Amino acid sequence: MATDVIALNQPVLRWAARARTIPDIEKELSRIWARQDLTTEVEGETGRHIAARTNVMNLVVIARRPEIAERGAATIQALTGLHPSRTIVVQPADPDGPSWLDARIEAHCVMPVADAPETCAETIHLIAGGESGRHLVALVTPLIIHDLPVTIWWPGEPPFATKATNELFSACDRLVVDGSTWSGDGLARLAEMATCAETTGIAVSDFAMMRQSRWREAIASIFDDPDYLPYLRYVRRISVTYGTHDDAGSPGSTNIVKPVYHVAWLASRLGMHVVKPLAEATSPAKAVKPKPGSASPMHRGMTASLADGRSEVAVVIRPIHSDMPSGTTLRVELLCDRRGSELRADVTAEAETVHVRVWIDGVEALDRHFLAARRGDVDLLAESIEAVDRDRVSYGTLQMAAKLTGAHPHGHRST
Amino acid sequence: MAGTKTPTRPAPPETPTEAPSDQPIPARPAPRAKEAPRTMRELRESREGKSAKRPSKARPADNVLREGLRLERVPDPSILTLFGATGDLAHRKVIPAVYHLWRTNLLPHEFVLLALGRRPYDDESFRTEVHKALEQYSRVLPLDEAAWRSFSHRIRYQRLDFDDPKGFDTLAKRLDELDQAEGTRGNRLYYLATQPSQFAEIVGELGRVGLDHERHDGGWRRIVIEKPFGHDLDSAKRLNREVGKVFRESQVYRIDHYLGKETVRNLLVFRFGNGIFEPLWNRRYVDHVQITVAESIGIENRGAFYEETGAVRDVLQNHLLQLVSLVAMEPPATFEADALRDEKVKVLRAIGTHPADPLDDVVRGQYSAGWVSGEQVKAYRAEDEVDPKSETETFVAARLNIDDWRWSGVPFYVRTGKRLPKRATEIAIQFRAVPHHLFKHTTASEPDANLLAIRIQPDEGIMLRFGAKVPGLGLDVRSVTMDFTYGSSFNVDTPDAYETLILDGLQGDASLFTRADEVEEAWSLVDPFIDAWANGPAPDFPNYDAGTWGPPEADELVAREGRRWRRI
Repeated sequence: MATDVIALNQPVLRWAARARTIPDIEKELSRIWARQDLTTEVEGETGRHIAARTNVMNLVVIARRPEIAERGAATIQALTGLHPSRTIVVQPADPDGPSWLDARIEAHCVMPVADAPETCAETIHLIAGGESGRHLVALVTPLIIHDLPVTIWWPGEPPFATKATNELFSACDRLVVDGSTWSGDGLARLAEMATCAETTGIAVSDFAMMRQSRWREAIASIFDDPDYLPYLRYVRRISVTYGTHDDAGSPGSTNIVKPVYHVAWLASRLGMHVVKPLAEATSPAKAVKPKPGSASPMHRGMTASLADGRSEVAVVIRPIHSDMPSGTTLRVELLCDRRGSELRADVTAEAETVHVRVWIDGVEALDRHFLAARRGDVDLLAESIEAVDRDRVSYGTLQMAAKLTGAHPHGHRST
Repeated sequence: MAGTKTPTRPAPPETPTEAPSDQPIPARPAPRAKEAPRTMRELRESREGKSAKRPSKARPADNVLREGLRLERVPDPSILTLFGATGDLAHRKVIPAVYHLWRTNLLPHEFVLLALGRRPYDDESFRTEVHKALEQYSRVLPLDEAAWRSFSHRIRYQRLDFDDPKGFDTLAKRLDELDQAEGTRGNRLYYLATQPSQFAEIVGELGRVGLDHERHDGGWRRIVIEKPFGHDLDSAKRLNREVGKVFRESQVYRIDHYLGKETVRNLLVFRFGNGIFEPLWNRRYVDHVQITVAESIGIENRGAFYEETGAVRDVLQNHLLQLVSLVAMEPPATFEADALRDEKVKVLRAIGTHPADPLDDVVRGQYSAGWVSGEQVKAYRAEDEVDPKSETETFVAARLNIDDWRWSGVPFYVRTGKRLPKRATEIAIQFRAVPHHLFKHTTASEPDANLLAIRIQPDEGIMLRFGAKVPGLGLDVRSVTMDFTYGSSFNVDTPDAYETLILDGLQGDASLFTRADEVEEAWSLVDPFIDAWANGPAPDFPNYDAGTWGPPEADELVAREGRRWRRI
């Protein structure tokens, strides 16, 4: 029994127990809050512990590796005061061995403001071996608090196409992933995720999409100006440049989920449809200087074609060498041609700022900087949790991204 | 088809957004009218996606890229021109609020705070002064030095005597130079944090040098005016007239910082964002409403100011009546400034005419020496700059009737005062008791009627009281509370009211600012008390001890209808 003096907003472990079956976990959970002797020290004196058990949601974390489980649990504890949740961290292990369960049940409390009751929530760390670990829905369902939303955070690469995963998603309200960490270009998994979202009805929060909100804010701001708003329906070219560490920038070498989301967001918001999905650029284009010391020139990237009901919209997603993390968006360019008048927008970002420049018919018309800090996992997870329902902007962006990859409505990418 | 007209067809939907009606319409090809559905069938089929024609090119009035963005919209590049920048209000509230907006990236990069005052600072020495003020008054300490460094570069100082016309010519020139140098695009928010007596003069000078004119290329001009807005109905009307000669009403933002407080804004969400309360929010279920704005502090070295103001002008006319109107208003059709303010004005207009004697439903008081928060405090009349025979009220309580369909017969009791036992602002909705006391034979005492208390400060939150059975074999019923506190439910950095309101001003959202007619209606409600007091006999002051809840007459005001003030 911990009797720590609690500091503001610092989670403190108040209670811990172990169990080896789901019914035992349930028993331990009910025991935590039935205890009357929870005490805490206030200025050196032991007094009655006042704790408000508060759960506003269920949060399930699927962690394939112990270090991911630890990191996920730490992120969630940082949110206890803000979004107290029953957290179930599931770590499948030894899939070919016999079935077994090992659960650690903990109660963490934080004091959000001085003199307030502590806010406490429980975490279940569940390691499931053998066959048990493959039936995630069977592990999770009995442990969730009914009537509260269920969010599932899956760091790494969820196997979207499996039956077990789809069963789990059908029992949950929201999936949180980070598409920018997926292997290869990430597009196949992106398409699978879109299909999964459509078939299971689960809402998706992708950190890769959320991190770009500062870009979207900056791009949207261009068209807040009533003089520029009419150009929005005359976008003719969307170009996204991303950083790569690959010498040749070959397709497939770098995760391009983030650049694709930029295009997909614009396309879905502007009611465009895909005419030709993304494919390796083959047409002659401006030569890109090779990296110093490298023999091969940089690949021209990928192109696609969209249409907005009037005419085609060219899409280019191209790599350049950069010290930024691979796949980071470096520039978004828009070209709009409205009845002979041209608006060109160029958006770039640095550490804390996004820079927007606009030219109308070659004359610079706007030069703005937006202060916008990058956000960490805690911020993004908090934002994901706050989003209650599926929002049509991110859903539309995801579905459009899948179409850009060439995915058919129910699944697989065209080759 | 270029240049041809199609008079039998409606104009295509994009036309209004492309060329505002007050600007020449450039030559352009006529719309291809065949794309628009003409018959009901075509319209239906186009909506169902059956039409072979291309979809209508109807263009949204708004920027479709805005939808779903969770970030706050950053205001346009702009200059905040702060009059009275060396004063107490600027140092304590306005500048710290602007700093926090900057720190949290809610201001545009192209932003300038142009501070205006009489004192002989230059840019650098004023920045040093601001840094000192922030170290004292910033709500987040220690200061974020990196944020401060970047913020300090956005601060400029201009010496200006408000009664010197040449100074305003210089100001106009400086603003134009800043627009050029800093890319602020002619957008200006003038903030009057000066003595109220200077409002009209400053506004007049701004008009004389043309600083009110909004530019054709989109540069907006807005003015924020601090309270008190007038000291009675006549002076408020006069000031409205003076301001109206220069600025359009849509450019004027009269600030009442209470409206920027999180719980006050939440009151609207609470009422109109929850389905379960609104059906109860009327005379059928509400017995009465109590609104308390209590301060434990005295007049804090503002004796001269308070002598001329008093509790009615300082709090009742603005904060309290604003809270009354937010509690009592009908749902606005939209959450837009004028829709909201229309409903608030209707409440003020519905507040009943006073009884034969306007003072029957009003009690005033003035504190004598006493004890507050464990400290002995002196009487009001013993405060600095206060007349030893002062008749200024430091407490007022009133009973208001709102004569409309929703509230007829439901009294609204309001009270405010200095040197009360604690600092607390609260709205209490007292619901009617159950019609039949079912448990009177099984319980020692009947549970209290349900109560909803909305705490505005401190510990912002909402409490609902209801009856519950005490565990055990008997059927004892006791009142219990469900408590929601902002601090523990949302462990987030709550913005100060000034931050909210300054950001709203920069974004052109006037919802939480007071309109001219609201101000005048509020004065017309309190003027009769003030006049009657001025014309009546001298009050028997002081009539309450510091550290108590006001004079006994305040208790009698509610007791005569069988009620009592809520213990806070």
